[in-house]
Amino acid sequence: MAKEIFMPKLSSTMTEGTLLEWFKEEGEEVETGDPVFEIMTDKINIEVEAYEDGILLKKYYKSDDIIPVNQVVGYIGETGEKVPDTPPLIDDSEGEAAGEAEESDETPRTSASEESGEKEELETSGSPDKVRATPAARAAAREKEIDITTIKGSGPKGRIHAADVTAVPQTAATPLAKRIADDHDVNLQEVKGSGVHQKINKQDVLNVVSSSTEEAQTTEKLKGVRKITAERMSESASAIPHVTMNFSVNMTKIADMKKTLGPTIEEKTGRRLSFNDLFIFITAKALKRHPELNVTFDGETITYHEAVHMGTAVAIDEKLFVPVLPNAEASSLTEVKNNSATLIEKSRSQSLAVEEMQGGTFTISNLGMYAIDSFNPIINQPQGAILGISAIEDKPVVVNGEITVQPVTTCSLSFDHRIINGAPAAAFCTTLKQLIEEPYELFV
Amino acid sequence: MREITFVEAVREALSQEMRQNEDVFMLGEDIGVYGGAFGVSRGMIEEFGKERIRNTPISEAAISGAAVGAALTGMRPIVELQFSDFITIAMDNLVNQAAKIRYMYGGKGSVPMVLRTPAGSGTGAAAQHSQSLEAWVAHVPGLKVVQPSTASDAKGLLKAAIDDNNPVIFYEHKLLYKTSEHVPEEQYSIPLGQADVKRSGKDVSIIATGIMVHRALEAAEELEKEGVEVEVVDPRTLVPLDTETIINSVKKTGRVIIAHEAVKRGGFGGEIASTIVESEAFDFLDAPIKRFGAASVPIPYNPTLEKATVPSADDLSAAAREVVSYAKQEV
Repeated sequence: MAKEIFMPKLSSTMTEGTLLEWFKEEGEEVETGDPVFEIMTDKINIEVEAYEDGILLKKYYKSDDIIPVNQVVGYIGETGEKVPDTPPLIDDSEGEAAGEAEESDETPRTSASEESGEKEELETSGSPDKVRATPAARAAAREKEIDITTIKGSGPKGRIHAADVTAVPQTAATPLAKRIADDHDVNLQEVKGSGVHQKINKQDVLNVVSSSTEEAQTTEKLKGVRKITAERMSESASAIPHVTMNFSVNMTKIADMKKTLGPTIEEKTGRRLSFNDLFIFITAKALKRHPELNVTFDGETITYHEAVHMGTAVAIDEKLFVPVLPNAEASSLTEVKNNSATLIEKSRSQSLAVEEMQGGTFTISNLGMYAIDSFNPIINQPQGAILGISAIEDKPVVVNGEITVQPVTTCSLSFDHRIINGAPAAAFCTTLKQLIEEPYELFV
Repeated sequence: MREITFVEAVREALSQEMRQNEDVFMLGEDIGVYGGAFGVSRGMIEEFGKERIRNTPISEAAISGAAVGAALTGMRPIVELQFSDFITIAMDNLVNQAAKIRYMYGGKGSVPMVLRTPAGSGTGAAAQHSQSLEAWVAHVPGLKVVQPSTASDAKGLLKAAIDDNNPVIFYEHKLLYKTSEHVPEEQYSIPLGQADVKRSGKDVSIIATGIMVHRALEAAEELEKEGVEVEVVDPRTLVPLDTETIINSVKKTGRVIIAHEAVKRGGFGGEIASTIVESEAFDFLDAPIKRFGAASVPIPYNPTLEKATVPSADDLSAAAREVVSYAKQEV
């Protein structure tokens, strides 16, 4: 017997989920554990796996459909098994209903005919793609090459009459113009004709084609990670009074250190040491010295964290992920390198587990590879602060009264002024600057 | 210009033909001195004698059988049935003999007879004397069916019916007998299978037969005041049917009302409607076809009920108003 696939209820507050994508087609074989479709809740995206082996018999919904929890989304069973044409309604007393259905073989004829009557009603009401139009209207639409589904009918029940078609502005066009319009998917209704009686000629269509190429644009409905990012960004930006402090950091010594430590780290991890790893390492140490920056805030209560769980913003195509490197303050540089590399790879393959994106206490957003002088990062709620890092550039630096050229970057700390004041934030910035400029202090 | 009644026009057609064709004779109940139930043959026995205006016993089976036999010998008999309702008794002779003989004998014999008979309601003659059963005979291959709506049509169509070598059922509506109009004096023939556009219009076609032609014309008059141009098409003969004229009218107007006095259920209107939708006129239809016929009841004796049973001019104008109201074309 075919088994239902349900929209799962993933949390106590979840009432509905959005179907993002089917991974299987109807008729395709499914094994237990295979991801069948992906859904998005108000919190996360998750792949729903099959609990049965069999054939995916039915898909009732398509991408972007919003489906209540526990609704039947499809069926898995054996080839040829019958499943309902429409998804069964959610029924709490499902067991009982099934029992009744089995008995119905013996039920009197009346109930059977009632059932078929209901079905008929559904079928007649379920043909929204049929157009109610008179033959004359259809003939007129054919002749004028108007898509009849675009016409509004003035007759009873919206029936389209010939006059409704005639009322659509005339779109006479030369055969060549029509062909060009066809090739470029141009709707002749939207082309203004310059010929006699507004007849559309080749040039009219070409004008539209060229103008539409200039203005070419695509649209995309926000969903998944992007939708969540958008919501959280606007929430953070509007709810938190951000203050951003910019400070420049001389990178000379840390660059030396990177050069010195690089081969050792590469030998131990098989990976190249990056400035990002050093920033994570040093920032975690700095936070350890300024616990008032390593906080989360739920709107009422400030939580001070003993450990530094360091979030790192990772951009994959248009998506933004912030995997969390746990206990960064206690990690060696090798551990930082290994862990962050793993997290970045997982971000790339979009296989991060939910828990790998949770529990961060501070975030670093590094745009060092771009030509950025400074920027105001938006705080990753519920964290209290975020550090932005811009590009390293050779700049004139005064050393002992002499102008020298040295590598310099700008760090930008955004903090939540509801819970962190300017002085401690500035003190943290100063510590961080010192630790980067004089990394030997790390051993103090 | 001379105006004569429908009765006079039928009598004139009969007399003119009998004067010049010795083979033509009439047979029926009380058609002699009495002049027939509706006075059609009044005075004819005096002119043509009782050999050619033959009074018969009260047996439609005998009359029709005698006519089929006479026709087979080369005569051109004209039967008068007092009321078309009694065609039921003549049915075997008409359906199994008259309609089939020419076909079954490979054309070696033919049945050139005409059966004239008054039909329709409106005279208080009740259920057995008021029916319109033309669809029965129209269904039988081998019979031609004529339903004139005016005196001049009746004269010309009757001439054509007599000239035809096949059995022809010729319906005369009782209420039309007293209507009069200009009818040419000389003999003339209107070919069977030629519809007549009784009134030209561009907004809606009313295809009407017999008495309904007049109700349609009344409705057209009424609607003209409202700026609606009704076209009235009278097929005049159901078999053969002039589909071309009907289709052309529908192609012009895109809206169709069909009206006959016979009961709507199983009536000839269904045949006309199907003919239209099966034809190229389909693509010109811009409203559902409306069909009018009598209610599915025996014609009541009570005059008020009798009138209410069959379609009226008001019914037709209301229907015409409705179909043109859908997206009326601005001119």
